[in-house]
Amino acid sequence: MEQSSEARPARTRSRYLPLWIAIAGVLVADVLAAVVLGFPGYPPDIGEMIEPIAPHVLFAVGPFTITNSIVTTWVIGAVIVVLAVALTRRLRLIPNPVQNAVEWIYESLANFVVSLGGPAAKRYAPLFIALFIFIVLSNWSGAIPFFGRVEWLRAPTSDLNVTAGLAIVSFLTFHVEGIRVLGARRYFGKYFNLRGFRHGPIDGVIDLFVGLLEGLLEFLKPVTLALRLFGNVWGGEVMLSVMTALLLAVLPLPFLGLELFIGLIQAFIFAILTLVFTVLALESHDEEHAAAGEHEAGEEGPAMVKHAAAAA
Amino acid sequence: MEHIGAGLAVLGVAGPGIGIGILTGMATQAMGRNPDAAPVIRANMIIGAALAEGLGILAFVVGILLALR
Repeated sequence: MEQSSEARPARTRSRYLPLWIAIAGVLVADVLAAVVLGFPGYPPDIGEMIEPIAPHVLFAVGPFTITNSIVTTWVIGAVIVVLAVALTRRLRLIPNPVQNAVEWIYESLANFVVSLGGPAAKRYAPLFIALFIFIVLSNWSGAIPFFGRVEWLRAPTSDLNVTAGLAIVSFLTFHVEGIRVLGARRYFGKYFNLRGFRHGPIDGVIDLFVGLLEGLLEFLKPVTLALRLFGNVWGGEVMLSVMTALLLAVLPLPFLGLELFIGLIQAFIFAILTLVFTVLALESHDEEHAAAGEHEAGEEGPAMVKHAAAAA
Repeated sequence: MEHIGAGLAVLGVAGPGIGIGILTGMATQAMGRNPDAAPVIRANMIIGAALAEGLGILAFVVGILLALR
């Protein structure tokens, strides 16, 4: 026992030594090559290396163009479907490690949904998880070698068309669900609010104006959803290109790590905001309705969401 | 001229930066005072930071569109 405890510090000290030597060797080789060969084509034309905003059109089917981001979307969709089918094919009551891991992922995300939005949000857990997993894989696919470098592969979320499509899905979700739960009259009554006229003309005008403003903000939600995801992912890829052009061999690696983290956070944010906006759309502004206390069971969750919206 | 405009547009990310800084500082204070409420505060902090960040991203996109014109 004593021997092993004495040997341990020596082992931990030497464990990373080959890695450091390799990094230092690559850097020295880089510097030497730069000194011997000069700097051919330096500074590089960074504009050439930056991914263009518009995706590359591969071919056209009638009026529709098939772009490289669509092809990558299909690839990612196929990977998700194959994994989902393969991992859930032989479910057992006593799970094996793989089934356990998948169950853990699903359960922790579903519990998070319920803790954020209350019991009413449980219905939207599949949407939340699907959005999260698809966007995370899309963001991370940009870090796979050759994605964004060859013309038929590109991280889907670095294309504004894909993020706009996802945002339209979210937009339709919260309005369709709002109308389904509240009914068309009460739902649109939130935005064309004439109830204030009961308390006098000034209250009525103020309530009407606030309602119309809220209706306008509804159309800003999908715009910011789409632009936030696109801006983060595409901006991250531009940053990686620039850093790769400016720095020596392994030095851009920390930025890659940062990009992976940002991709995870942004996928989470997109899914969370879709969920929160949906839960908000389910709430009626009817004071009488709230006073009746019909929603007592779900009080904790929506109250929390309300605070978040107020903070924004 | 477009590049000057792009640079000016990207100055717009300063506002959300200040906002997210205040938000995170306040949330950290709140978590320090009441560690039991940390998950709730963290979730709300992320949502608020995302909404503030969206505005910064708008400025960034305007800058990019101007610069690549």
